[in-house]
Amino acid sequence: MSWTAQPQRGGGWLRVMAVIALGLGWRAAQALLYPITLVYLASSPSRMRRASRHYLARALGRAPGLADMWRLYFAFAATLLDRAYLLTGRTAGYAITIEGLDAMRAHARAGRGCILLGAHFGSFDALRSIGGADAPVEIRILMHHHMADAAHAMFNALDPSRARDIISLGNPAAMIEASECLARGGVIGILGDRAPRGERMISVPFLGREAPFPGGPLQLAAILGAPVLLCFGTWLGPRRYALRFEPFAERVTLDRAAREASLTEWLGRYATRLEAMCRAHPFNWFNFYDFWQEEQPA
Amino acid sequence: MTVRDSLALEGEMAELIVASLRLEVAPAEIDPEAPLFGEGLGLDSIDALEIALAISKTYGFQLRSDDEHNHRIFASLRTLAAHVEKHRAR
Repeated sequence: MSWTAQPQRGGGWLRVMAVIALGLGWRAAQALLYPITLVYLASSPSRMRRASRHYLARALGRAPGLADMWRLYFAFAATLLDRAYLLTGRTAGYAITIEGLDAMRAHARAGRGCILLGAHFGSFDALRSIGGADAPVEIRILMHHHMADAAHAMFNALDPSRARDIISLGNPAAMIEASECLARGGVIGILGDRAPRGERMISVPFLGREAPFPGGPLQLAAILGAPVLLCFGTWLGPRRYALRFEPFAERVTLDRAAREASLTEWLGRYATRLEAMCRAHPFNWFNFYDFWQEEQPA
Repeated sequence: MTVRDSLALEGEMAELIVASLRLEVAPAEIDPEAPLFGEGLGLDSIDALEIALAISKTYGFQLRSDDEHNHRIFASLRTLAAHVEKHRAR
């Protein structure tokens, strides 16, 4: 069973949302979120709904009801709609509070870039709001090529000039590109909670049970050798986000002799912070598949 | 540069690649015409960064991500060595 089909599913909806949003305006698009969420919730495969219920039960600490499912799916749809605006810099109608920007500025002042380690949580694209008014920062997102392809398609639909913001790991020069960006004082974003099929996974405690996380993102951070900040763009409500930066590591170092053990330790720290965010904002985490691998293979 | 020099550089770079990536193949086993990435040697973009760093240390020039010929440069040991031969500063 493959869950890698899910980003594509999201990708298709994303394009629909983008067309609606940019064609009809935010208010009309926002009104359409209700029927869209309804259709999305009703048409989603049962194993996807089951996975969402499992997640919510863990994050909420109780059995989730239909209202909880609705909130999760609605928040997901809302963040997809917002992407169309955030990615194209149309942030005028948005209220985005920013916490911890100083930590990032300190790196920028020192003339070095940093890595932002995020998750499929809220909207990582809320990050775009730090460009523009504040110091214009070069922000590039490092992605596995399966995911990069979908992202490229979306960028091309929205704003082709932003397509280069995505660095696809499918390209041999990808990491050279990322390291050049850091050397220029830019920012490299990496999402740490989802992997393409075939990536080596390492299990760490997450919301009460061991869950497999990809080792890749922290390995990339270690190789790039730049300071790492955690970055979460929590969706608080219509056009309201709380963007938060937290220092994570001056540098991720992996013990060469005990690589697996040190990766596990870093991943454990990441999962602990992600868990705290999920408990504080349970309707913000968007991984609609059997994350804990609780299902028996069919 | 003679053919012999080119072959020597290929051999030297095979050693550089094996050493910097800590590969478990003998340098002489690397087919100079086989793809380095994907099939063939099966390297990825992390390895490419390591190779780029090793090349810059050893040969004194930077491989750049915006080189439009990157796909060709990284195609095989032979093409990579040819690129180094052309741009090396030492």
